[in-house]
Amino acid sequence: MNEQSRDSFEERAQALFHDSVEGLDFATRARLTQARNAVIEAASASRRSWFLRVGVLTPAAGVTAAAILAAFLWLGSPLSQHAVTVADGQANFEDLELVASADEGDAMDMLQDDIEFYDWAEKAADPGPPA
Amino acid sequence: MPPFDTLNQAWTVWDGPAPGPEDAVLEYTRELDKFLAEIERRAFRMAQVALRDPDDALDVVQDAMLKLARNYASRPSAEWRPLFYRILENGIRDLQRRRTVRKRIMSWLPGPKDDPDGEAQDPLDNVADQAPAIPEALMQGQAMQQLEVSLRALPARQREAFMLRNFEGLDVAETATAMGCSQGSVKTHYSRAVHTLREQLGEVW
Repeated sequence: MNEQSRDSFEERAQALFHDSVEGLDFATRARLTQARNAVIEAASASRRSWFLRVGVLTPAAGVTAAAILAAFLWLGSPLSQHAVTVADGQANFEDLELVASADEGDAMDMLQDDIEFYDWAEKAADPGPPA
Repeated sequence: MPPFDTLNQAWTVWDGPAPGPEDAVLEYTRELDKFLAEIERRAFRMAQVALRDPDDALDVVQDAMLKLARNYASRPSAEWRPLFYRILENGIRDLQRRRTVRKRIMSWLPGPKDDPDGEAQDPLDNVADQAPAIPEALMQGQAMQQLEVSLRALPARQREAFMLRNFEGLDVAETATAMGCSQGSVKTHYSRAVHTLREQLGEVW
């Protein structure tokens, strides 16, 4: 068979397929639109939560870490005006552990989600020894 | 590049999926919606040709849409089409494997054999049509049905290559990405598919 017959065969197959796509009934089109809308809604919500995590949790994690550091300094300072008993110190440490463990969980989630970014940032920050 | 003191500094330089305002989410959503709207009907028909069942076809297409949005949304939109069809073809293959397993299990069970895929021949198929004239649309529909039957009889990789190249219009490189094989394999599969189809349909088309 020559090239011309091959082309006409392929063209006919393509035309038939496109006709069948155009001829899809209304119910099928509606179901496809419904499926797409569900996907878009899910994708949009997922994207928003990603922005939210990066935009809110990163500063929040920093603030929490600073608060923990300040608390450690305050508790360990000999110049502190507050008399800290052993029992008070234990209670405070328990509270700190609760806060720190909760924060660690969030930080781990963020790290897992944005591992590509952290990897890139580490490499960009440390270009290595000059050639 | 200077070292980053804070992550926020790094975010401003990173050229990956950078965080942004609400507009970025809207723009991404709009782009994804446009892409899926453009592709969904053809994808559905291709899945329907392979699976025969419209409900299964719709499920596979929706699943492919979801997976694309979840796993590959950060990729440039120019890459979405071959990636989408790769997910779709994997979904079709998975469903066909499950059907094969189900059919084997059913054949071991006692009792009347079911025909879940409707492969049994309908006696009415052999009754001659006495209609004097066949409208053009009906003839086109019959030609498409014949093409579908012949496509289903092809080996899976040949069918995939033909539908992606001919129906969807992907080039060889995109088809290779979608099929997860080399461009040479795509050319071979496509050439064999066209040869077989032309041999089967050439007389009646």
